[in-house]
Amino acid sequence: MPEDWLKEADFRIGLGLLLLVGLAAVAGPFLWQIDPLRNSLLATFRPPGSVAAGLWHPLGTDQIGRDLLARLLAGTRLSLGIVLVSGAIGAVIGTAVGVVAGYLRGWVDTLAMRLVDIQLAVPFMLLILLIMAVLGASLVNLIVVLGATSWPVYARTARARVLEVREMEYIESVRSLGASAWRILWRHILPNILPGQIVLLTLDLPRLVIMEASVGFLGLGVQPPTPTLGNLIGEGRSFLLNAPWLVIWPGVVIAALVVGCNLFGDGLVRRVEGRET
Amino acid sequence: MIGFLVHRLGWSVLVLLGVAALVFCSLFLTGDPAALMMPPDASRAEIAAFRHAMGFDDPLAVQFLRYLLAALRGDFGISLRFHQPVLGLILERLPATALLAVTALGWSTIAGFVFGIVAAVNAGKWSDLAVRLIALSGQAIPVFWLGLLLILVVSLHWHWLPTGGYGTPAHLVLPALSLGAYYMSAVTRLVRVSLIETLRQDYVRTARAKGLRERRVVIRHALRNALAPVLTVQAMQFASLLGGALVTELIFAWPGIGRLAVQALQNRDFPLVQAIVLLAATTFVVVNMLVDVAYAVLNPRVRL
Repeated sequence: MPEDWLKEADFRIGLGLLLLVGLAAVAGPFLWQIDPLRNSLLATFRPPGSVAAGLWHPLGTDQIGRDLLARLLAGTRLSLGIVLVSGAIGAVIGTAVGVVAGYLRGWVDTLAMRLVDIQLAVPFMLLILLIMAVLGASLVNLIVVLGATSWPVYARTARARVLEVREMEYIESVRSLGASAWRILWRHILPNILPGQIVLLTLDLPRLVIMEASVGFLGLGVQPPTPTLGNLIGEGRSFLLNAPWLVIWPGVVIAALVVGCNLFGDGLVRRVEGRET
Repeated sequence: MIGFLVHRLGWSVLVLLGVAALVFCSLFLTGDPAALMMPPDASRAEIAAFRHAMGFDDPLAVQFLRYLLAALRGDFGISLRFHQPVLGLILERLPATALLAVTALGWSTIAGFVFGIVAAVNAGKWSDLAVRLIALSGQAIPVFWLGLLLILVVSLHWHWLPTGGYGTPAHLVLPALSLGAYYMSAVTRLVRVSLIETLRQDYVRTARAKGLRERRVVIRHALRNALAPVLTVQAMQFASLLGGALVTELIFAWPGIGRLAVQALQNRDFPLVQAIVLLAATTFVVVNMLVDVAYAVLNPRVRL
C-alpha cells in the first residue's frame, strides 16, 4: 500500500526534524562554543563558510561580525523554550477551564464558552502585540502573554471530550460509590482526555512558533542583542541584498520546526484518534 | 428562522461587548493608563493633568460606558500621535488593506480548490504527494520570511516587480502572494480531506454507477458537499488575516491598517490600537454571522 508507506514516512520525517532541531537547541551551544554576542568589526558580513580572524564561520557573520551559527543555536534554544513553556501554560489553563466547564455545566460552562468566543474574535497577533506594548517587551511578559492567549482551543476540546466522558458508565459507578467531584475529575476524567490534549499541543505549537517569530520580527518580543529566531530575521532584514544568509537560515529553522510539528502531530492524531487531518 | 436570527444577532453583540471590555481593560494592566500614554520624561503634574483630561480618574465602569457610547457614535478617540480622530485615520487606510486581503483570500481559495481536487482524485499517488508538499511548505513558512525571500529573488535579483509600495497591480503581486500562501495551504488540506471523505459516500458510487463522467461526479456531486467546511474555516481565518497583514504590509511598505497598527504600537498610540483591534473583531464577528446565516438559509437543519 503506497499510501500507508507515505503516512509512516511522514510521521518519521516529522519526528526526525523535531529531534534535529531539539538536539541543536539543547546540545548546540555546548558543541559550538563561540559566544553569540561576541562581535568583531574585522569580520562583518562574511558569507557562509568563510574564515575571519582565525575563526571559521560555517553560516557566516552579521553586521557587527557575530557568528551566525552561534546566534542561530542560541536563538533556536530560546525560541523553542518560549514556545514550549507558553504552550504548556495555555494547555494547562485551557484544559482546566474546559474540564471544569464540561463537568459542572450550567452557568460556569456558559461563561467559559462565551469567554472562548470573545477571545477567538480578536486577532491573536494584535492582542499579543497590544498586551506586549502595554506591559513592556521582556522574556517573561512574552511567555505569559503567549501562554495566556492560547487557552481557548484547549478549553473547547477539553469541554467537548468531558461532555462525552462524563456520561460513561464507569464515571457513573465511581459517582455512585460516593467519590467527590474533585476526585472524579482528577483521577477518572482527566487521564481519559489527556492524550488528546497532548496531541492538540503538538498541533498548536507551529502557531506559537510563528507567533513568537512574528513578535520578535516586529521588535516587540525579547529585546536585542539576545537572539531569537524572529529577532534574527528582523535584524537581518535591513541587509537582505548584501547578506541574505542572515534572513535565510533562521527561516529554515522555523520551517523545519513547523513542518516537524505538523507531520508529527498528524501522525499522532492518526495513531491516538484514528482519524485523518 | 426569525428566532435563529435574533439569537445569532444577540450573540454577536454580546461577543463584541466582551471584546470591547477586553480591549478597554488591557490599558489598565499596568494600573495607570495616563503614565503609559505620556512620554517617559513627562512630569508628574503633566501626567496628572493628562489623566484628568482623558477622564482616567473617573470610576472604571463610568469610563467604559463612556467609551462604548462614544464608539457607537463612531468616536474612537483622538490619536495621540497624529492628533486626528482615530476613525478617519483607519478609514483612510481601509481600502488598501481590503484590496490586499480580498486578493490574498481570492487567489488562495481558488488555488487551494484546484490543488485539493487534484490531490483528492489522485489520493496516494505522486501528484497527491506533491500537492501535500506544497501545502505543507505553505503552512510552515512564516509570512514575513516568504515576503523577504520573494523580495530578494523576484525584486532584487530578477528586477521583475517592485520591492514595495502601492498603486499599480504590479505592487500587489508579491504582498498578496506572501499573505495568501498560508490560506492556500489550509484550503488545499481541507478540500483534499473532505473530498476524499465524500468520494467514499454511497451517493457518489451511485452517480458513478449511473455512468456519469468522473469529472461530473467530482465537480457536481462530491465537491458541493465539500464546500461547507471550507467556507466555515475561511470565515474563521478572517481573524488571523489581519495578523498576517500586519507583517506583510510592514515588509512591502503597503499603506494599510496593518502598517498603521505596527506604527501605532511602536508610538504607544493606544487609542488607535484599541480602535483597530475593535474593528478587526467586528469584521470577524460580522463575517462569521453572515456565514452562519447563509448556512441556516441553505440548510434548515442548522436552524434547530
